[in-house]
Amino acid sequence: MERSDVKEKFYKILFAFTAIICIIAVIAIFVFLIARSIPAFGKIGFFEFVFGKDWYPDYRDTYDGELSGSYGVFKMIVGTLAATCGSIIVGGVLGVFTAVFISKFCHKRLKKVFDVVINLLAGVPSVIFGFFGMKVLLPMLGVFADNGSGSGVLAVSLVLGLMILPTVVSLSKTSIDAVPDSYYEGARALGATHEQAVFGTVVPAAKSGITASIILGIGRSIGETMAVIMVAGNAVNYPTGLFRSFRVLTANVVMEMGYAGEVQLGALIATGVVLLIFIFFVNVLLGLVTNKKKKDRASIKRKNAFLSELAHKIKIEKIGRIFSYIAAGVAAAGLVSIIAFVCIKGIPNLSAKLLFGKFETLSTISIFPSIVATLITIVISLLIAIPVGVFTAIFLNEYTKKGSKLVKAIRSAIDVLSGIPSIVYALFGMVTFVVFFGNKTSILAGSCTVAVMLLPTVVKSTEESLKSVSDSLREGSYALGAGKVRTIFKVVLPSALPGIMSAIILSMGRVVAESAPFMYTMGSTLSPMPNSVLDSGTTLAVALYKLAGEGRYVDQAYATAFVLLVIVLALNVLAQVLSNKLDKKLKGRKK
Amino acid sequence: MKNKRKEEKQTEFGQNISVKNAELWYGDFKALKNVSIEIPERKITAFIGPSGCGKSTFLKCFNRMNNLVEGCRITGEFRIGDVDIYGKTDVNLLRRNVGMVFQKPNPFPMSVYDNVAYGPRTLGIKKHAELDEIVEKSLRGASMWEELKDRLGKSALGLSGGQQQRLCIARALAANPKILLMDEPTSALDPISTGKIEELAEELKKEITIVIVTHNMQQATRIADETAFFLLGELIEYGDTEKVFSAPADKRTENYITGRFG
Repeated sequence: MERSDVKEKFYKILFAFTAIICIIAVIAIFVFLIARSIPAFGKIGFFEFVFGKDWYPDYRDTYDGELSGSYGVFKMIVGTLAATCGSIIVGGVLGVFTAVFISKFCHKRLKKVFDVVINLLAGVPSVIFGFFGMKVLLPMLGVFADNGSGSGVLAVSLVLGLMILPTVVSLSKTSIDAVPDSYYEGARALGATHEQAVFGTVVPAAKSGITASIILGIGRSIGETMAVIMVAGNAVNYPTGLFRSFRVLTANVVMEMGYAGEVQLGALIATGVVLLIFIFFVNVLLGLVTNKKKKDRASIKRKNAFLSELAHKIKIEKIGRIFSYIAAGVAAAGLVSIIAFVCIKGIPNLSAKLLFGKFETLSTISIFPSIVATLITIVISLLIAIPVGVFTAIFLNEYTKKGSKLVKAIRSAIDVLSGIPSIVYALFGMVTFVVFFGNKTSILAGSCTVAVMLLPTVVKSTEESLKSVSDSLREGSYALGAGKVRTIFKVVLPSALPGIMSAIILSMGRVVAESAPFMYTMGSTLSPMPNSVLDSGTTLAVALYKLAGEGRYVDQAYATAFVLLVIVLALNVLAQVLSNKLDKKLKGRKK
Repeated sequence: MKNKRKEEKQTEFGQNISVKNAELWYGDFKALKNVSIEIPERKITAFIGPSGCGKSTFLKCFNRMNNLVEGCRITGEFRIGDVDIYGKTDVNLLRRNVGMVFQKPNPFPMSVYDNVAYGPRTLGIKKHAELDEIVEKSLRGASMWEELKDRLGKSALGLSGGQQQRLCIARALAANPKILLMDEPTSALDPISTGKIEELAEELKKEITIVIVTHNMQQATRIADETAFFLLGELIEYGDTEKVFSAPADKRTENYITGRFG
């Protein structure tokens, strides 16, 4: 055989092999969830579990004996629904109108500022939102509550709303910006005012993109854990009042997984399955919305005609304009105040001892071990996720036939996986990697867990950037007698590099920002410097959660929040600068 | 390994193309119907015909680019010199000998130098001196050396459309091909750039056989020695360009060149 043939075969097998690893990971998660939840569903009863109103778990319960605890998550399902609705009312509405404002009503220079800021804020760790809610919102809201505590649906809605705001704004804005100028010009040419053209023509044309952004926001709200725990109160109640303590599904998992007994753990995994079903519905909804375009234009138009008549009667465009200004103001105020809060409270509390000191006892607390643990985690998880993810994407995009059913199935499994709440990955990591690496939490187990969590995103974004490489470049390379492997490594990958680089940096950002998957895989108590990757450790985000929860170290928590924020923002800036620079380098200087 | 490479080079491709009874399907659609043609060496042969007549499809059979299209099936005999190119020939070796220039310029997103050196590097040439020589020779061959010699390190995407297309020709020349296929190489260019490429083609035919697909009949009369007219997947008429345009033997050819359809 020719040497070039051997090389082609070798790489094909390598790419296929990584794709198989990726698929195994996907299957493993589903199998794990199903296999571990079925006994619990069987023991408790599916309907008793989903519609049961009492949650009094007993850690001594086993699958062999009688149950002495009760396991019903209905109140938490209602809690999750309430929290999600609330966050969409706050974040969805504010987000869409803010997007309209940025895209159509704001000055060009301000628009650029907004663009940059919104993109940066999308990466802010949820723990920081939770911390802000805990220290600023709760005391403020407490004034209005009968029991003096501000925690409850209102606080959760505000915190989650602010958290999903950047996502909703940036996605809505993208779809509004993508509406062809000819629509707007056509409307203006018919004598419509700027507002009429925007709200009558441009926004309806961007409807499916806007809806998709809201649905993605819903997905994030359902899956969020830490920010909710910090402001919800977490008692198992129906969310009957704005200030009544309640618990959501994700919180249920993270609060009890650390010390759960046999049946209890099964019930927690079953809670994860219920979450997954929610996310699955959200995905189906998303699929319907994004596919709707092709279907039945006429009926949409009829509905639009009705809506626009209604809109005409109440002069919606005037109201819309005012609303956009208000929304943008509120959104900006909310987001700026979070940043300001972290900076104002955090900077004065920074000290060399806290940042780089030696951690001995709790009285001389230092986050240096956490900084080191975070860095190690980034390195290990990316070393696993990036090669596997990128190679899988290469396999899916360059080697498989278009329209193959198997590939479609793999893609949709990866889609589902990318929407799974991080707390589900935490459960998965706890019963696989933690057990595998010596039955104790360790940096290695945490890194592996988060690597699996990163995989779907890495695969998806790499595939996107591979797809955007024009086929004419591939043809050009083949026409010069280059083989497939050479074409991929010399032409396709370099062209896709800006996209892949920003995926890598955003993955780093996610490792830094996540906290839920680490709590029970890597460790949750602040501790001295780890000696090896088999020791447990805490990432900065987990450290912040812990410090914030304990009244004695609030100053240190502020400083940690500031450090965390700086790291995440720096990574985001790096991502933007790097991908711009690479883009420019590839495109060359225009004359 | 070195011996292998030498052996590989011994597969001698000629410069004339001979096709007998070619048929081609895309799935169920028959895109070429029983086409036979003899293309002489070191001449310019033009394929003309209305859109969708199969001329580009036929061109891509000569370097087997159609292999990349899913559901594409080819029968008939294709020979370049004495070599049956759909026999045991290595596709990549074939493509190194039969260069191609595409409708839209497709320079790789890398420097001018790296673009031209892509083909030779694929062949395993690594020595700087050797590559420098090939790059200069190819750029001179595409009459671009003077305008580009000071910006070899700049990205090729910063060039104008016409320059990009000539760079693609230089890139093809760097692989030292025996035949150059051009698929509507000037359809995306302005008249001045088009003129430059036509001049270049006339210069190149001293060494290389050129087959060009074109929509522009004036272009065919200007540069082609032989012209073939395709319609609905069939080769209707083929011969000396002057004869095809001044005294077409077939009514359909006449209708097309006098502008009655197409």
